[in-house]
Amino acid sequence: MKKLLVVKGLKAYYQIGPEENVKAVDDVSLTLYEGEVLGIAGESGCGKSTLARSLSGLFLPPLRHISGEVLLDGVDITKIDERRLRKEVLGKKISFIPQSSMNALNPTLRIRNFVVDLMREHNPELLEEEVLRRAEERFDSLSLSKKVLDSYPFELSGGMRQRTLVAVSTLMNPDIVVADEPTSALDVTSQRQVIELLAVMIERKIMKSLIFITHELPILGQIADRIAIMYAGQIIEIGTLSQVIFASSHPYTKTLMSSMIVPEEGMRERELPSVPGSPPDLRHPPNGCRFAQRCPQATDECRANDIKLRRFQGRLVRCIHPLKVEREL
Amino acid sequence: MLSSRSPTEMVGFLYEAPSQRHLLGTDNFGRDVLVELIYGIRTSIFVGLVSGIIATIVGTTIGTVAGFAGKWVDGVLNSLTNLFLVIPSFVILILLAVSLRQRSLVLIAVVIAVTSWPWTARAVRAQTSSLKTREHINMARLNGKGSFEIMLTEILPYMFSYIFMVFVLQVAGGILNEAGLSMLGLGPENTISLGIMLSWALNFEAVRTGAWWAFVPPVFSIAIITFSLYLVNIGMDEIFNPRLRKQG
Amino acid sequence: MSPYAKYIIGKAKWYALTFFIAILLNFLLPRLMPGNPISSIVARMATGGAPSDVLKKLYTSYIQEFGLDKPLYVQFFYYIVKVLHGDLGTSFSLYPTKVNEILAGALPWTIALQVPSILVGWIVGNLLGAVAAYKKGKFDSIIFPLSLFINCIPYYCLAIILLYLLGVVLNVFPIGGGYSMGLMPSFSIAFFVDALRHYFLPFLSIVLVTIGGQAIGMREMSIYELNTDYVNYSKSLGISEGKIVRYVFKNAMLPQISGLAISLGTMVGGALITEIVFSYPGIGTWLFNAIRQQDYPLIQGGTLLIAIGVLTANFLIDIVYGIVDPRIKASQLEE
Repeated sequence: MKKLLVVKGLKAYYQIGPEENVKAVDDVSLTLYEGEVLGIAGESGCGKSTLARSLSGLFLPPLRHISGEVLLDGVDITKIDERRLRKEVLGKKISFIPQSSMNALNPTLRIRNFVVDLMREHNPELLEEEVLRRAEERFDSLSLSKKVLDSYPFELSGGMRQRTLVAVSTLMNPDIVVADEPTSALDVTSQRQVIELLAVMIERKIMKSLIFITHELPILGQIADRIAIMYAGQIIEIGTLSQVIFASSHPYTKTLMSSMIVPEEGMRERELPSVPGSPPDLRHPPNGCRFAQRCPQATDECRANDIKLRRFQGRLVRCIHPLKVEREL
Repeated sequence: MLSSRSPTEMVGFLYEAPSQRHLLGTDNFGRDVLVELIYGIRTSIFVGLVSGIIATIVGTTIGTVAGFAGKWVDGVLNSLTNLFLVIPSFVILILLAVSLRQRSLVLIAVVIAVTSWPWTARAVRAQTSSLKTREHINMARLNGKGSFEIMLTEILPYMFSYIFMVFVLQVAGGILNEAGLSMLGLGPENTISLGIMLSWALNFEAVRTGAWWAFVPPVFSIAIITFSLYLVNIGMDEIFNPRLRKQG
Repeated sequence: MSPYAKYIIGKAKWYALTFFIAILLNFLLPRLMPGNPISSIVARMATGGAPSDVLKKLYTSYIQEFGLDKPLYVQFFYYIVKVLHGDLGTSFSLYPTKVNEILAGALPWTIALQVPSILVGWIVGNLLGAVAAYKKGKFDSIIFPLSLFINCIPYYCLAIILLYLLGVVLNVFPIGGGYSMGLMPSFSIAFFVDALRHYFLPFLSIVLVTIGGQAIGMREMSIYELNTDYVNYSKSLGISEGKIVRYVFKNAMLPQISGLAISLGTMVGGALITEIVFSYPGIGTWLFNAIRQQDYPLIQGGTLLIAIGVLTANFLIDIVYGIVDPRIKASQLEE
């Protein structure tokens, strides 16, 4: 399978003081293949949103790119200048769907004016009528009424707003879409509509691959092919959906899954079930395994040196005592 | 206080320039400007404080009742507050001050308070409305506490820091309003305030004759006192409402 | 009915009420104080040595005009009728000149001074605040404390300082009046130039202090808007910095417009006192003279005019705001 996005050893920190950094993304490596949906899950504060933002190569202060690469079509987008990033990458090759807060869209701008601004930024030769025609067509094909384009953001319900964000972010048929908690603030019906919308778009090849970030694992069960679990700024397990959820290897993943009822469609968890203790302070992450403080099977060896991602039973795990799976699923 | 001399004592000729004897010279009456300044600052701050206290008490009461009671009580009080906010306070200040038989210091402060309570009322009302929905209010109600008691024990304590910040602004406003009234000739009688010093300087040709010591000190004092009060307000805001400011 | 029309009508009703209350207060407040204002005035005037038949005329004309011998509500009725006819009474100090005449002569000067100065101050102040918020760094660290300080100086205090520095010490500008003594107002270029010279210092003081206040407000609003989610979203889709800046400032402007309405009353008051500093022949100076001479009809006429003026300006600003902010129409739809 073709590799769309390759992340190697990415480190991105928030600089909150002259010497103080929050190490939100601390040595993350992953690969995104064409045609897949990769879910990234973790509790709040684990760095998944920061990772989402970093994947597009856009590091907005106080977020800083420290080291590591993000290779898109072989080009490291963390190194190219901002102008090229804007013109060629953002919105076109990689697009971003934010969480639908009240303020995700400019409150005093009609959706269609924003769309015109967006498309003409990337294709200045397009006429306004042409832009609107394409937008109407696309919205229509996604079962979004044309009236939405004429509306102001505050005139739309939460679910409508999120679906509009999805439509707008994908207007230019980006290869990769990174969705940051797109369903978190929604009711069950709207959630389902958004996920269906995303699935339809993948099916129609409007986008090639999707990275779906959430703290609600059951959602991933509906759409993801592979899942990466993030903890304290690092990926601690990546595997297929069934591997990670039904046969977890990392103790953290295992504890999460085993205290959850098997996810069914329509069920929602408020938050990942709680594991006793709390994640380390990302300003001063501990040496060795970051989960060691809360891990029931941690040894001194775990705390001694930093642990790397290793192959284990067909997946990648950041643990030196991963849990063996009885049967391969 | 700092000087045991009376500010109204004539100590020199008219508009003498600053000298060793009179560090800020003399004014149009031949009085020591420095002594007058100290006295004037005291008076202006007094007016600011009194008007601030009255405005804060009245405004907090009305604002809390309006925010807490809701419905038609809020409707009436809110309309009343808005009315006074829209009609220029400048006008009401003049109308009231002009009709006073005697413009004593306290009465002037009261008049200023009458025009400034709406600001406090509006701010407090907003705070009370949002506090009203909190858990502990419901608990208090379930425990059988009466409305008045709830307002006093459950809402006011949470607003102390906020009310104090508004109070600081009111004091600054009171000082400025007193100066304005004095410039119009409607200031307190038989006393010396910063505004009165300014109006004397203006009306007795201090500016034209270049006697800068007669007006620069009061102007400077007004600016510094007001500026300090605003800084206090900003400082308190930082302490009580820390905001995560992105750097970069 | 369109939501915008609903909004305007709602506002119009509100302002009609406030106009009425303003007139009522203007009438009522001086009369609430104990004592018959007219006799005490007359008594004071008597010590000033005015001839007694003039006093008698004043007394009777005042009683007649305002029906002081009749109950309060009748007096108020007389007052409203007169005001609606534009009759604000007869001046005491300049008897028998009508108050309208005096104010009509002063009003153009006041409007000519205040409208441009407040507008210029507002525009420049907002620009400065926006740039300071956007550029941050050194520019901001100078502008912010400077504006904060200037904002604390009342218009008339700055006016006195400017008058001293530029008028007396440097002698660049005239030190008072609206025009040189000995010149008669006319529509000639010479008069216009002369008036402008007299106009400049009061204009400058109002502009500078207004800039201070607006810069502070706009800076804060801009900082808030620059950190919103839609800015981050637009950036993540590759929209240019220039476009985003336009979004931000348009949104930051909106509260500044409504803020202008709120502070207009205080601004006008300060500007009027500034007129006094320069003996500028506007309503401020006339009000000051009237207060000094206890010319009650003139005082009341002046305050009424000011109140109506500010309320009207407020109404106009509300109308403009309703056009500019689309969220206003939304709140109308909800009702």
